[in-house]
Amino acid sequence: MADPVQFTGPHGPKPKTPFSRRNIMLYGTLIVVSLYYLVPLYVMIVTSLKGMPEIRMGNIFAPPMEITFEPWVKAWSQACTGLNCDGLSRGFWNSVQITIPSVLASIIIASVNGYALANWRFKGANVFFGILIFGAFIPYQVMIYPIVIMLREMGLYTKLGGLVIVHSIFGMPILTLLFRNYFASLPEELFKAARVDGARFWGIYFRIMLPMSMPIFVVAVILQVTGIWNDFLFGVIYAKPDSYPMTVQLNNIVNSVQGVKEYNVNMAATLLTGAVPLFIYFVSGKLFVRGVAAGAVKG
Amino acid sequence: MPQTRIERAFLWSITLASLFFILRQVGVEGAIFEYAPEAILFIGAGILAVIFAQTRRLDLFKNRLRGPILGWLVGIAVCVMVLVLAQKGVQDSWEFAKDYKKAWKALTPFASFAIKLFALFAVALLIVGTRDDATTPRGAIERAFGSNMSSKVAAMPMAFTAVGIFVIATLWTVYHSFTNSKLLPKSELIGFDQYQRLWDSDRWILSIKNLAIYGACSMVFSLVIGFVLAALLDQKIRLESLFRTIFLYPFALSFIVTGLVWQWILTPEFGVQHIVRSLGWESFTFDPLFNPDIVIYGILIAGLWQGTGLVMCLMLAGLRGIDQEVWKAARVDGIPAWKTYIFVVIPMMKPVFVTTLVLIASGIIKLYDLVVAQTSGGPGLASEVPAKYVYDYMFGGQNLGQGFAASTMMLVGVLIALIPFAYLEFGGRKKHG
Repeated sequence: MADPVQFTGPHGPKPKTPFSRRNIMLYGTLIVVSLYYLVPLYVMIVTSLKGMPEIRMGNIFAPPMEITFEPWVKAWSQACTGLNCDGLSRGFWNSVQITIPSVLASIIIASVNGYALANWRFKGANVFFGILIFGAFIPYQVMIYPIVIMLREMGLYTKLGGLVIVHSIFGMPILTLLFRNYFASLPEELFKAARVDGARFWGIYFRIMLPMSMPIFVVAVILQVTGIWNDFLFGVIYAKPDSYPMTVQLNNIVNSVQGVKEYNVNMAATLLTGAVPLFIYFVSGKLFVRGVAAGAVKG
Repeated sequence: MPQTRIERAFLWSITLASLFFILRQVGVEGAIFEYAPEAILFIGAGILAVIFAQTRRLDLFKNRLRGPILGWLVGIAVCVMVLVLAQKGVQDSWEFAKDYKKAWKALTPFASFAIKLFALFAVALLIVGTRDDATTPRGAIERAFGSNMSSKVAAMPMAFTAVGIFVIATLWTVYHSFTNSKLLPKSELIGFDQYQRLWDSDRWILSIKNLAIYGACSMVFSLVIGFVLAALLDQKIRLESLFRTIFLYPFALSFIVTGLVWQWILTPEFGVQHIVRSLGWESFTFDPLFNPDIVIYGILIAGLWQGTGLVMCLMLAGLRGIDQEVWKAARVDGIPAWKTYIFVVIPMMKPVFVTTLVLIASGIIKLYDLVVAQTSGGPGLASEVPAKYVYDYMFGGQNLGQGFAASTMMLVGVLIALIPFAYLEFGGRKKHG
């Protein structure tokens, strides 16, 4: 609600009582809703610190009676998927090897693309850009199989390199849009002055645009790291058990039908997989919000 | 101007040749496609000869298009390198080439076609650059291959992705949905059989129903919850950023993590049902993941938990964009806050709602990971969704045709949803500007 400005009588805002009915309702609702959002995280943490007997006895919301870190160790280094029993660590390193080159490649390509579209427009560029943005809405399922064929022809199917290519391709629409809009919002005089001084395409990019656009690069990195780390569909299609990323391996560990279900190990594994994006989220704060909002900005 | 017309003819021949070449590479068969690309390029070379016949002068060193010509020569050199790396002898002696044997081999036809193309470009620029001086207006050829080259090269990945992947892959899948592909894609058309089979299948109908329920509920609830939360946060409260952080953090988590957590919370033996029962209500039943009738709502709870934070964020940004004068005016007129929200603020936020709706809708059609993690489509087939149907038939059931048909139906669904939006968005904008 806006400032309660009073036009008659004493000036200045009305003194507020901290426990008015309105405030109790407001904060009460917010706290209850916050609980709904926080409960799963709490349950994950609590369950992962309990031993199996305690889980079978008690309820999932109760705090652990004795804290054990064994489930975490087991999830990291011993949990089984099929015949492999070396835990989530393999998936973790696969995900790292997929994420880092994909993020670098997609951001380099998209930033140069966006720069070309914003400052060096040529005839037909907007047709390609239109198709690209339209492509972001096409369900991936329509494009999956031809890409399988393409990667197989190149000998990259089920290899980490193939996944890097796939992530670079599908990250392109949103990132190109992000960079194009950002470069277009920079003052044009800057670009013109550099042109007058004789700078060319790459000169302007490296000496003027790049140093000025660090914030948007950080936003792009956040967007891509969380997006690629959280991907499941491409991982399950374009990788094989040896090269599965963490999310796919996690799902296989938790939803495997063999053996006794160890809920504490499952929750520890789930937390480990969620740890990377959560860490980025809590560290980056407002930039993350800007990143997800940028995903929503229209061309 | 005859000069322009003949230059246009050259550009068209290049375009046509490339088109035939792409069709050949994608696997379109027929005698025409076998020879057409090279034949048309040959015609293009003939057109170049005609252009040359008008001037009969060639000069590389005094040419003002020296830079772009050298650029195309570099392009040729790169292609030649690819061809060299594809040779067996070279691969045996050099480790790097060996690792990507198949990749080099797959690139060979593209490289050899590109060499011919680039050579034509270079010669064309050579002729045009000698013919024209800096005072004559630039011809069609120069505009296409001689100016703003860095930008065009930089945009090549985008052009490749847009046309090479998005357009061609989509058309490829649509075409093959009319074939009887089983384990491997076939190219003989059989008409609408796959679609008939698709719509006769109970599993597909169930998938569509599930998606419709999930989609409708998720749109309504996430818009309502997201807007209410944003409105609450917009009351100038303390700790706003803390609440926002709490509401948005699930969005950073993957659907797999979301699905697994909620699977655990909703397990009847340990989760919510167990707890309510242990409090004394013995007959309480809440087992959405094991009851085929309500399983999709169990998935909805998890989906909303993950996605409403984003909606809240977008709505909050929209609310902050509303002019404070509106609120003052409403207060002066004595309109209660809830009425101001419904009758003034929400209509003002229409663009935000449209954007959010498109975002939610494009997320809904992708619904796959969440179902796989939470229920694997079970119990039975009760929580199947279209994306899972596609995956299972393409990679599990070895019935590619069904997968292609189902994914084409998904595409059709998106188009039906998207076209009115695109019309509103771009049709409306033209009127204003």
